[in-house]
Amino acid sequence: MDFDVVVLGTGLSESIAAAALSKAGFKVAHVDNNQYYGGDEASLTLDELAKWADSRTAEANEKSPASYLANQRTRYTSISRSTTIPPQSRQYSVPLAPSIVPSVGPHIDSLVASGVSRYGSFKLLEKVAVYDRPGVVQSVPGSKEDVFKSKVLSLLEKRRLMRFLLFAAGEFEGKKELEGKEHMPLLQFLREAFSLSDKPAIAIAYALAFCITADEPSLPALTRIRQYLRSAGRYGATPFLVGHYGGLGETAQGFCRTSAVKGGTYILGRRVVAVKSPSPAVDTSPHDEKASTSPSTEPRYSVELEDFDEPLTAKILLASPDYVSPVPIVDVPSSSNPVLSGSIYPVARCIAIVDKPLWFTPSELPDEPAAAAAEAEDAVDGEAEETPSAPLAPNYEVDTAVLVFPPGCLADGSVTTAAHVLVMGEGSMSAPRGKCESSRQTKRLLSLKERPLGIVNISLPCTSSSGPPHSAEELLRPYLDATLTLAAPLSVPSDSQPIAPIFTVFYIHHSAPPHPPPALSTASSEIIVAHPHTSLLPEIADAATQHAEAMFWKAVEMLGRRSPVRESGSTDEVEGKNEEGGEKEAEEESDPGEIDSFWPPLDAAEVESADDW
Amino acid sequence: MLTDVQHGIKQVKYSREALAAKKERERAKLTEYQSLTAAVLARVSSDCDGTTTPSLYEPALAQRKERSWTSESFDLTTKLLHVNPEFYTVWNYRRNILLNGLFPERTPTQINDLLSDDLSLTTAFLKQHPKVYWIWNHRQWCLQQVPDGPSEADPNGWRQSYWNKELYVVEKMLDADPRNFHAWTYRRYVLAQMPIKRTEQSELAYTKRKIEANFSNFSAWHQRSKVLTSLWASGKLDKAKSSQEEFDLVQNAMYTDPNDQSVWIYHRWLIGPGDDRDILEREIVSIQELLDEQPDSKWCMESLVFYKRLLLNRYGDVMPSEGKRDLGNECLDLLSKLQDIDPDRRQRYADLAHDALHVQ
Repeated sequence: MDFDVVVLGTGLSESIAAAALSKAGFKVAHVDNNQYYGGDEASLTLDELAKWADSRTAEANEKSPASYLANQRTRYTSISRSTTIPPQSRQYSVPLAPSIVPSVGPHIDSLVASGVSRYGSFKLLEKVAVYDRPGVVQSVPGSKEDVFKSKVLSLLEKRRLMRFLLFAAGEFEGKKELEGKEHMPLLQFLREAFSLSDKPAIAIAYALAFCITADEPSLPALTRIRQYLRSAGRYGATPFLVGHYGGLGETAQGFCRTSAVKGGTYILGRRVVAVKSPSPAVDTSPHDEKASTSPSTEPRYSVELEDFDEPLTAKILLASPDYVSPVPIVDVPSSSNPVLSGSIYPVARCIAIVDKPLWFTPSELPDEPAAAAAEAEDAVDGEAEETPSAPLAPNYEVDTAVLVFPPGCLADGSVTTAAHVLVMGEGSMSAPRGKCESSRQTKRLLSLKERPLGIVNISLPCTSSSGPPHSAEELLRPYLDATLTLAAPLSVPSDSQPIAPIFTVFYIHHSAPPHPPPALSTASSEIIVAHPHTSLLPEIADAATQHAEAMFWKAVEMLGRRSPVRESGSTDEVEGKNEEGGEKEAEEESDPGEIDSFWPPLDAAEVESADDW
Repeated sequence: MLTDVQHGIKQVKYSREALAAKKERERAKLTEYQSLTAAVLARVSSDCDGTTTPSLYEPALAQRKERSWTSESFDLTTKLLHVNPEFYTVWNYRRNILLNGLFPERTPTQINDLLSDDLSLTTAFLKQHPKVYWIWNHRQWCLQQVPDGPSEADPNGWRQSYWNKELYVVEKMLDADPRNFHAWTYRRYVLAQMPIKRTEQSELAYTKRKIEANFSNFSAWHQRSKVLTSLWASGKLDKAKSSQEEFDLVQNAMYTDPNDQSVWIYHRWLIGPGDDRDILEREIVSIQELLDEQPDSKWCMESLVFYKRLLLNRYGDVMPSEGKRDLGNECLDLLSKLQDIDPDRRQRYADLAHDALHVQ
C-alpha cells in the first residue's frame, strides 16, 4: 500500500504532524506498536499501565535487537509497580507525560486551529504551591490579587515582587534591568535586579518559571514567566489547563482522529518488523526531485508490519526515535526558543493513585483561632444570599493542582533539582469516584463512603552528580511521602494512619539520545524524527506542537511543497471564520495548491453558524 | 484579511450571495416590525382619552378601536418588546394594561404570578441589553407592585424573595464587572428596599471581597466608606480600631500598586480633616518610605504634599518655626519634582507651590 507519508508512533508531536499532513491533503499511514494512541505521551488505564510497566521491564528475548520494545527498555528503566491493581481499573486515564497547558501558546493555537479542541475538554489548574513542611504549603503569588492578599510578604517585598511581575509581563528584551544579565542564573538575577528575598525568589524560580536547577539562566526563564503571566485570565484566574481524561494522551488521540477524518489510515497494535530506506543506488540529488519522475520510480521507504501481507511504502517517513535506530535521520531544530530546560536530564517519575483528596493548607494561616474565626464570620455573613450555608473555614482542598519541591527542601530529596508534582482529581476526569464498599445503600452512607480518587504524578530530573545510581523508587519515596502528608487537613489529629497510595508505579524516563546535527541536504533518504526536547510540565505540549510544525514543514518540503489534493476553497476562504491568529488568507486566490499554513481554515461544516441577528 | 472581533462581536465576512440573502432577511424583519408597531400603537392611541399626543404613525390613527387593555394587547406588546426593548412607550402601555386591564380582575396570587413572569422577561432582555434604562425601570416598577403575601402571617414573603433574587442578580453583575457603578447604585437601592435588611457587617465583608479580588475599584472603596461611616456613627464598630485596620488594608494596596488612584482617594478619606495628628504624621512617614522604594511614584509625591500642607494648616500655630519651614520646603521640593514627572499638570503644581509660599 502506497502513501505519501508513513508515521511511526502516535506520540503527541507525531500525531499533530500527521493531522496537519492529512489536512493538507497528503495520504498518511499512521502506525503504532502499542494497542493505544499516544506513544510516550499516552494516557493509560491501570490495566494498560501495568502491562506497559511489565513489558518494559521484561528481559529482551525477541528476535530483533533493534526493535521498538528494545528501545523502549532503554528509554524507561528502574521500573517497579504495586502488584495488585485497584478496582475500576478501566476508568482511569493515567498520563505517562503529565502536562499543564498554558492558555496562551502554540499548543492552544493548534488545538483551536485544527479543530481538535472540540474533541476534548479541559479543567483549569486550580493552584500552584510550594511544599513547605509536612501538611503545609506556601502559596505562590502570581498576580496582583495574590500579592495583595498575601500575609507572609512584607510591604517592601510586595512592592518588589509587583515590580518584578510587571517587568516580566512586558517587553523585557533590551530593558536595562536585564542588560548583560541574560545568562545570569535567574535566582541571582532576582536578587540583584529586584532585591527579592529568598522565599519569593524561590517561589518565582521553581513554581512560576518552573526551573529545574538553581543555575538556569534568566532569559529563557523570563520568557516562560511572561507566557504564563499572559496566560492568566484567558480562561480563568490561573494560566494553565489540564486536559480531561488524562491530558496529552487524549489530545494525541484527538489529532489522530482528525487525521483519520481527513483520510489518514490508522494501524494500532502491530509490531514494526522492519524499516527499509530507499536503496542508496537511486540518485538522491536535489535536482532529481524536481525532474518529473513517475511515482513508481521515486525512491520509497518500506515499512513491514507483523502479519501484514504487504509492506507500507511512502515517499517520506516520520518517526518517533524508538522505531528507527541506526538509519540516518534528519534532526529538525524545534523552534526559535532558547534552549528549553530539562531536556538533557533523565527524569525519575512516580505515578500514584490515592483515595483521599489533598489539601493545600497555606503556611500563612492567620494566628488561629481568633483570626480564623473572624474570617469565618465574614464568610458566613457575606454569603447569606440564596443559600445561607457557607463553609465555616476556608476550604483548602484541591482537585487539580501542582505542588513544587525546590531543590534541598526535603532532607532526603535532591539538593540539585526541583520536583514537580501534578495532582489530578475527580475534576480532571482522569480517575473514577470510588464506589461505596458497604452493602447498605442508604443515601447518607453512600456520601460518607464515596472516596474521591486522584492521580499523583511526580517528576524529578536527575543530574549525574547525585552519586551512585539509585532506583526510581528510592529517589521518589521521600517526595511521595511528603505529598501524602497533605492528604489530611491540619485539623485532623496526626496520630491517625498515614495515608498510603492504593497503587504506585516508579520508573526513570530517559530522553532520546542526542542526534547528529541537522543535515543540510534535502536528500530524501532521511527520516524525520520526532524528538521531544523537554519533559518540563508546562512546556511539553508547546514543545511538541512546535516540533510537529517543524516536522510538517520539513515533510511538505520533501514532498514538493504542493498539496496533491486541496478542496476548491474559493467560497470557503471568503465565508469561513479564521480561527487561529495571524494567518493571512486574502492572497490565496493565486495558487490553491500551495501550502502556506500549518493548519488550513476550518471548513464550512466545522465552522459554527455565523448568523448574529 | 484577518477576522477581527470588535466590541465583542465577531465580524464575519460574507460572500456576495450571503450578503444579499442577509439583506433580504433584514427587509422581511423590518416590515414585520413596522406592522407590529402600527398594530400596537393603534391600540395605545385608542384608549388614552384624548390626552395622547398625536401618533407619529399616521396609518395607525385611522384605526381607533375600543379600549384595548386586553390580554391580546398585552401579548402584542410582548412581541414588540422582544424585537425592540428600548421602545419605552410600549413599556408604559404594558404597565397600563397590567394596572388597568389585568390586575383588577385578579387575586394577589395571580397578580404575583403576572409580575413574576414580567420579571423573568426583563431578566431575559437584560442579558442581551444590560444597559437599557427602560428595562430596569420596568423591573423596578414590577418590584414595587408586589402585593402582600403569600399569607397574612407572612405579608413580606413574596417581596423578600424577589429582593433576594435582585441581590443575587446584582451580585452576578458585579462578579462580571465589579467596576460597574450603575450596578453598585442599584445594589444600594436593593439593600434599602429589602423588608428584612442585611447587616452592614455583611456588606463590609462584601466590599472587602471585591477589593481583594481587584482593588482598582473606586465603587467598592466608596461603598466601604459609606458602610463604615454608618457603622462608626451607630457605634457598632469601634472607630479607632477599625480605622487602624483600614489603614493597614490601604497600605497593603499602596505598596502593591502605588499607581492606583482609588487607593489614594480612600486614604484621603481615612485621614479626613486630619483630626488625629499622630496618625497624620505616621502616614506621612509611611508614604515617604514607599517613595524611597519607588522614587517615580507621582501619587506618593502628590499625597505627601497634600498631607504636609494639611499638617501645616491645622497644626502650624503649635509648631516651632523651623519645623514649619522644613515642611514648606519639602512641599516645594516635591512640587518641583512633580512638575518634571507629570508635565501635563505643571501649572497645577506651580499654583500649589505658589500657595505654599504664601502660607509660609
